[in-house]
Amino acid sequence: MDLGIDPDQLGTCVQCGLCLSSCPTYRVTGDETFSPRGRIALMRQVQLHDAPLTTEVTEAFDTCIQCLGCEPACPSVVPYGHFIESTRNALTEHRGSRRRAIALWPLTKPRLLRLGSSLLAVAQRLRLVPARLGLPNQLPLRRRPHRSSGTDVYLFTGCVMDAWQREVHFATQRVLEAAGFGVTPTGDAAGCCGALHTHAGLAAHGERLTQSIDAALDPAIPVIVNSAGCGAHLKQHSSHQIFDAQEFLAEHLDHLPDVTPLEVNVAVQDPCHLRHVQRAHLPTRTLLRKYVSAVTELDDDGLCCGAGGAYSVLQPDMSQQVRERKLASINRVQPEVVASANPGCSMHLSAAGVKTEHPMVLVDRALAANSSTT
Amino acid sequence: MTTADDALLADLKRVLGDRVRADSAERALLRRDASVFDGGSAGPTCLCESTEEVQRVVRIALAHGRSVVPRGAGTGLAGGAIPLGAPVIISLSRMNRILEVDTDSRIAWVEPGVVNLDLTKHLTPLGYHFAPDPSSQQVCTIGGNVGNNSGGPHCLAYGVTNAHILAIEVVLADGEIVTLGGLDAEPSGYDLRGVFIGGEGMLGITTKVAVRITPNPPSVRTLLLSFDTPRDAAATVSAVIAAGIVPAAMEVMDQRITIAVENYVNVGYPRDAGAVLLAEVDGLPDGVDIDAQRISDIGRQHGATDVRQAASDEERMLLWKGRKTAFGAVAQIAPNYYLHDTVVPRSKLADTLEEVYRIADEHDLAVVNVFHAGDGNLHPLLLFNGQEPGIYDRVHAAGAKIVEASLAAGGVLSGEHGIGVEKQPYMHQMFSEDDLDHQERLRHAFDPACRSNPGKVIPVGHSCADIQSLRNVPEEVWG
Repeated sequence: MDLGIDPDQLGTCVQCGLCLSSCPTYRVTGDETFSPRGRIALMRQVQLHDAPLTTEVTEAFDTCIQCLGCEPACPSVVPYGHFIESTRNALTEHRGSRRRAIALWPLTKPRLLRLGSSLLAVAQRLRLVPARLGLPNQLPLRRRPHRSSGTDVYLFTGCVMDAWQREVHFATQRVLEAAGFGVTPTGDAAGCCGALHTHAGLAAHGERLTQSIDAALDPAIPVIVNSAGCGAHLKQHSSHQIFDAQEFLAEHLDHLPDVTPLEVNVAVQDPCHLRHVQRAHLPTRTLLRKYVSAVTELDDDGLCCGAGGAYSVLQPDMSQQVRERKLASINRVQPEVVASANPGCSMHLSAAGVKTEHPMVLVDRALAANSSTT
Repeated sequence: MTTADDALLADLKRVLGDRVRADSAERALLRRDASVFDGGSAGPTCLCESTEEVQRVVRIALAHGRSVVPRGAGTGLAGGAIPLGAPVIISLSRMNRILEVDTDSRIAWVEPGVVNLDLTKHLTPLGYHFAPDPSSQQVCTIGGNVGNNSGGPHCLAYGVTNAHILAIEVVLADGEIVTLGGLDAEPSGYDLRGVFIGGEGMLGITTKVAVRITPNPPSVRTLLLSFDTPRDAAATVSAVIAAGIVPAAMEVMDQRITIAVENYVNVGYPRDAGAVLLAEVDGLPDGVDIDAQRISDIGRQHGATDVRQAASDEERMLLWKGRKTAFGAVAQIAPNYYLHDTVVPRSKLADTLEEVYRIADEHDLAVVNVFHAGDGNLHPLLLFNGQEPGIYDRVHAAGAKIVEASLAAGGVLSGEHGIGVEKQPYMHQMFSEDDLDHQERLRHAFDPACRSNPGKVIPVGHSCADIQSLRNVPEEVWG
């Protein structure tokens, strides 16, 4: 079966295996089938040698979290991300894309999404939502509307994050404003970025969503994204100037006021799409060091937490095993708060009892504490 | 799958449940390790989690007349872990716990699936590390290090794996559990621990290891010397040792591999140098400064065009990352590699290198050289496209010539990758019939039925029992 991968590129893996320990699913299973080297070998067998798509083969592909931790580990710079995206597309086409498309449809309808979220919030308060779903503890019942303060930068508000974590957007906007930038939140003018669609094997669908964002926004204005997954997708697929929020602010650190740091020990959890795809995880530290008293590193070299967008719902067993490793790593350093710059990761970790905050929220809090004391 | 396979599988599943895999995907993936060799379809893979499980699997395999092959991360380069004759694969990657660290006695007990670099990272906050540092240390396992008596850049000063292992718990081929060696300074009796290390899984399966942990040096200096030719770099290495300096590591890379490595790490490896020498000294601050200066002077006397010292730990780590991932970076040049591993006397290094380039030319093959220069351990990488018709014959022929040239220079077959199936045909060139008979008898003392990793190391004519235990002898493992 043609997986749509360039055969020459598929040949660039020399099977040295140096990727194995950077792969969260290999780490928890110890099984070659769940490693990047194994998956690439299976892609070769399927595409070049017409091997059958057995249950085990599709399972190997489906269980990839697409964290892309293997890419920076690969000395031959094999574009594994392209391989797995292409493979997912071919599989989705093969199995029929209808169900996935329907499941992701609400993301493209912001009002419906917010209405649904509010209903969920009511259900939560009536204790009708099981905790194992991993939703944020208290979804907001209602949200204050967005407001614009200028046109220096866009703040990309997205879909689920705007419905569930709009407070993070407000915090990000306040920090950007403290650095002197006028902010236009994109709101419903630019909805879902299409990242989850692309990961689910609906690349064409994802591409359309990204294009409609590009069409809605002024290309001269930089777009600030505070969700690592969306930022990674937009950097790869949008033609606009895309910046991760911490990345942008660390570049403008001198614009930000000096204040007394918050007395809190923060461990940084690097979202994979910030660290492995955007390769922009260091600015989070630059920023946090200025605004919190202690920044602690986890000892797992940025291994995935197992959230992976919709992965935690689609592959709950593997997702939880991977999370166990992350929890163990967090426990070894005992932070008061874990800073995570991706809504998916923070929800996945808080569902396991970890206190998480978006780095922007911590910075905003430090700035607010200062303004209330002076 | 045959009925016999079904019965075997049923027995294995009773012990391991869904940690046994026998599907076509898994069997196909485990045909290979990181070498060019293909062992054919593997038998069932058992993802064991304890010594007792390994013991039970070994006994079940034995009862069904099947052999066993232990496997760690599958990063071996001599085909030592490939499955000849569809054996039961005993995967040790899930046995990855660090059981105990005793800094007073400088000993750690670990399971065989612990990743080499994970152990060092675990020890770093305590001020220690595990000294053997194979280039694949970010993925390779301690069990594999024991099986191959692995080396690494820093083994020049610290010694190879054998010098860092105190005791090994082993499941023998009949299922008996024994502990070889001990924690005493001078354990009594024969040094069976020393016999077992480097046994390539043919003497039994490692299930627990007591390793020696090494204090981190108080200071380190890392130098990067550029040369016009690999010959100049090799001459510098010999001169440094002759001057009485024992650096922690001395590694040489030729121009082509240096460029590939620099494309990956971007640390400032010179793209225009004919060869680079990465030299590291460690110890007390005053001493390392003196040694670094002396190495720099000797380099300049031997034609070094530039000498640079790593300014920060970060730069040092990146330089090493480049060197250690070199063999994986070659896909930038060609999609397949055959990484050779021979050792020659240091004084013959420069001549042998030139011979290697000549042999590659003669066979119309690309070659890059990256090697542990300090101990004369060559790693020529022959680069090719495996899809090209007849290519494996040429690669094989060039490989044979390289081995011949190394032996002619007074060298040996393998520095650290082991014999596996790769060097097996050359054993006769290195050892007499008598030597091989003794090796075979030693093997039989541990594993009389030749059930543990059969068909490797000892040449075919010498190991009838091995042949009998293979259900189908592979005609051609190449490619």
